Amino acid sequence: MSSSVSSDIVALLDRGLVLLDGGMGSSLISLGLADGACTELWNLQHPERVRAVHEGFLRAGSDVVQTNSFGANSVALARHDAGDSMTDINVAAAVIARGACDAVGHGLVAGNIGPSGVFLPPVGTATEDELRAAFSSQARALADGGVDYFSLETFSDIEEALVAVSAIQTVSDLPITACLTFDRKKRGLFTLMGNRPSAAFEALKGAGVCAVGANCSIGSEDMGALADELVDAASLPLILKPNAGMPLLEDGVAVYGQPASEFAQEVAAMASLGAGAVGGCCGSDQAFIAAIRSEIDAQS
Amino acid sequence: MEHSQLYEKQCEAILQGETEEAAALAHQAIELGVDLGECVDKGYARGIREVGRLWEEGEYFLPELVQGADAMKAAMAVLRPEFLKDQLESREEHKVVLGTAAGDIHDIGKSLVGTILEANGFVVVDLGNDVSNEAFVEAVITESPIVLGMSALLTTTMPRHGDVIELLKERGLRDQVKVIVGGAPLTREFAQEIGADSYAANAMEALSEIRKLAGIEV
Repeated sequence: MSSSVSSDIVALLDRGLVLLDGGMGSSLISLGLADGACTELWNLQHPERVRAVHEGFLRAGSDVVQTNSFGANSVALARHDAGDSMTDINVAAAVIARGACDAVGHGLVAGNIGPSGVFLPPVGTATEDELRAAFSSQARALADGGVDYFSLETFSDIEEALVAVSAIQTVSDLPITACLTFDRKKRGLFTLMGNRPSAAFEALKGAGVCAVGANCSIGSEDMGALADELVDAASLPLILKPNAGMPLLEDGVAVYGQPASEFAQEVAAMASLGAGAVGGCCGSDQAFIAAIRSEIDAQS
Repeated sequence: MEHSQLYEKQCEAILQGETEEAAALAHQAIELGVDLGECVDKGYARGIREVGRLWEEGEYFLPELVQGADAMKAAMAVLRPEFLKDQLESREEHKVVLGTAAGDIHDIGKSLVGTILEANGFVVVDLGNDVSNEAFVEAVITESPIVLGMSALLTTTMPRHGDVIELLKERGLRDQVKVIVGGAPLTREFAQEIGADSYAANAMEALSEIRKLAGIEV
């Protein structure tokens, strides 16, 4: 079990492989979150359950936990009529994660920021100003709550990710990591908007993030098969967080069927190719993180 | 200009996502007096099918898909009044309810079917896209259509067609309406499996199938 004394993600990445956490949304669903409900409102309604997920990951060996704030920007929250609670939700997200780290005795707190859920032209009609306001206000609340750094995840449009990065930089000097979500196509990995890893990672580097990566959308098998492409594309520390296999619908419920041991072996193999930080996305619970921990500890 | 050249340009306008060009070519088709059904089938619809294929192949991405759809809609907005000009007299007893499955926002194909049906004397009630199973059943009750047409472009939403048919059975409404389904991922086998009365692969086939279901001799 590693213990993180540094509160600095940059220093931590510099020291060696960082183990991130697993899927928050799927973990909360297993604790009773209803399908389609607002995940982030649980920071106010059921903080003890959110904290239990963080503590589970930390005890399983995560060096970092991500706040339960993926969809807690004002645009996304408005769809759940929760826009008015944006600040409270994000401050609580940071406080809960910090409480879990304090209780377990280690861990950095990453302020998790996902996409707005609306699109810039030509796909949608959102404006950069609208997105900038949403991301900067969320980042300010997360910083007020005490996060150690910001972690952008699951962006499918490099333009939106760059707007988010610059918006965060207007309110905070904390480090930023940024993961896009790629699909596996015949010619390799592409985002939904057609962004390739190499160009996207270079743009993010130019914007000043400290690490880049890929999360969600594909499982460890597909991500593992294309890990070389990602390693080659990244001139910054690389973050890899695949899904725990692909969800299958069983009686209308998403079920992730991949065994933790198989997932952990594939993630550890990616780590050995040169990833700076690994973890799991949707469907990966604390058992998956524990399995990765033992795989990578055995490797080192 | 040869009609085939015009169709080629129309197809290309969709592929390039050129909205203004697509609309201008639609005006040109009207001026030239080409068969508009043929123009849609060989020009614009071919373009949108090609966009779909390139998407599947991983050559096109969401921006190209959206721009292609916008160009298609712009062309259809120009053609629609023309289709309706020589409209057959519409008959209330030939009413069709249309909609795209819950969770699915694709409505180009479904809207095209609607326009062609209207042009051919059907009264069309278009419920739009992302239509809940309940809303389909509700429309069968309130509109009493002779045919219910459901569309889906996603493998994840096509099962909703079967859910609606089951719901119609549960409510004792299944015998009151004929059901036809369509959309890119669907097959005739799938339609049979879920208990639909018919299936169509494209808009013109939908017209002839719906005529059969409605018992209309042409």
